[in-house]
Amino acid sequence: MTNAQVYYATNLLVYAGVDIIACLALNLQFGLSGIVNFSFIVFQAVGAYTAAVLSMPPDSANGAFQTYVGGLQLPFPIPWIGGAIAGGLLAIPVGLVVLRRLRPDYQAIALLVLSVIANTVITNAVPLLNGAAGIALVPPPLSDQFDPNTINYQYFFVGLTAVGVALAALVASRIVNSPYGRSLRAMREHEVAATAIGKNPVQLKMTVFIVGGAIAGLSGAILVGFIQVWAPSVWLYPETIILFAAIIVGGRGNNIGAILGALLVPVGFEEVTRLLVKLNIGPPGLIPALEWVAIGLLIIGFLWFRPDGVRPEARRVFEDAPITEDLESAHTS
Amino acid sequence: MPTRPEGSGPLLVATDIHRHFEGMRAVDGVSIEVPRGQITGLIGPNGAGKSTFLAVVAGTLPASSGTIVFDGEEVTHLPAYARARRGVVRTFQLPSEFARLTVLENLMVAAPINRGDSLWGALMGKSYWMRDERRIVEQARGLLKRFGMSAKESDYAGTMSGGQKRLIEIMRALMLGPRLLLLDEPMSGVHPSIVQEIQYYLQDLRREGLTILMVEHELHMVERLCDSVIVMAQGKVIGSGTMASLRKQREIVDAYLVG
Repeated sequence: MTNAQVYYATNLLVYAGVDIIACLALNLQFGLSGIVNFSFIVFQAVGAYTAAVLSMPPDSANGAFQTYVGGLQLPFPIPWIGGAIAGGLLAIPVGLVVLRRLRPDYQAIALLVLSVIANTVITNAVPLLNGAAGIALVPPPLSDQFDPNTINYQYFFVGLTAVGVALAALVASRIVNSPYGRSLRAMREHEVAATAIGKNPVQLKMTVFIVGGAIAGLSGAILVGFIQVWAPSVWLYPETIILFAAIIVGGRGNNIGAILGALLVPVGFEEVTRLLVKLNIGPPGLIPALEWVAIGLLIIGFLWFRPDGVRPEARRVFEDAPITEDLESAHTS
Repeated sequence: MPTRPEGSGPLLVATDIHRHFEGMRAVDGVSIEVPRGQITGLIGPNGAGKSTFLAVVAGTLPASSGTIVFDGEEVTHLPAYARARRGVVRTFQLPSEFARLTVLENLMVAAPINRGDSLWGALMGKSYWMRDERRIVEQARGLLKRFGMSAKESDYAGTMSGGQKRLIEIMRALMLGPRLLLLDEPMSGVHPSIVQEIQYYLQDLRREGLTILMVEHELHMVERLCDSVIVMAQGKVIGSGTMASLRKQREIVDAYLVG
């Protein structure tokens, strides 16, 4: 492979890893628990900003061309851990306000509005995180010990991302396949009935909201260490919609579906359109605009024709289950 | 499994319960006692407030005013899930199965003690909660066998018939080891053959000592099943006693037929 190809491949792998982590987190909230978290991208952004200001030097560095809080220059992996913690911490006040009293449809609207507000605030409160221009020169992990501008570092970063994916997948799979995950699914199916059998829906939603927020924060921390910049334009609310499309296409409620969705939509779909842009078809801006149309059609199409996604949630059959009637008749015929 | 009633006096005492919706008095000063180990029927015309009252007792609707004492403990301000954990478990008038959980899972999810049923327990991994899970599978299968639904355990609950969903709901409630079972029209929309079955199961549960408060429309059923009956109309209790004694009271018959 040429250097350009290696850069392209590693770039793609890191993005795939970040999207997989994000989709695993959103699946816990939306697919498993039925929380329509339209502010998901905010949690990724909080993780990214936190990781950035934890790893960057004070904002007086580099001629003070940008302003931001923090600048603690903490060594890896503290910024990543900090990003995850920040995502989890943000989920507490948001969850307490949104998830306790509102009906689920209003929860979705409130979270969408929150996403828009958060973006507007960060864009305009310039001293906080440098406003619309965003922050740049975020040091990649361990860049004080390795030169980040080498091919080996690219491979190294793919490895780091893989560790993040493995961690997120472990947490997600333990939750989805546990009795706790079963309670979350029951709440998703019929919240009042779940309450009537002793489940506390607020507690269930809060815990999964916090875990999802923390994993989302980790995904942001990984991404910002790789692209080394972060600005309000990368976490506008439509980014959340792409992740929802991924979960719907991949298959709600199961981790394989979430991973498939991440590979099909944010990675595959966007990569294809990026290549199409290079072909210069039609007036400039046509293909990116059509991309949004296509994402919308993708969601509607799947909800209409294949609502369970490419890989539907598996039916759980327990050990020594009796053979069902259809199977019996299949045996006798 | 249902536990035998302990202590003395009525299991549930509801005093002067009101529940208003935007000025509409759905339940308007209801005071009742539910004796231990019996089936108490709650009858009355449509809109009498029976289901609302049941929801207030279960906590799925808060009372506007009044007090509810369950086995000597005031539970008026406890949320529904906390009352369920104390043994006050309700079923619903409309099917309320967890559609995309299997029949077995619908029962298992209701088990009150499971080490894996918390975020922490889940993160600890399968070995941490497997023993509880095995016990619960066994318990759930026991109930499925008793209610004749063993063959359906791996089917999605959403694909069951109306009557089977009723049975799932009753079994699900039993998984909690309830002390007071609140049934909201358990026979409505159920095929007559399953009505017979449900009746048999309820009598069986009563023999084991379970206390039941049930809303029911079908009076012959009430007469066969219930030890005593409470009649509601327009949000108030207008009479109580055995079905036979109630039939003799003119105003109750009128309220039922006219209302």
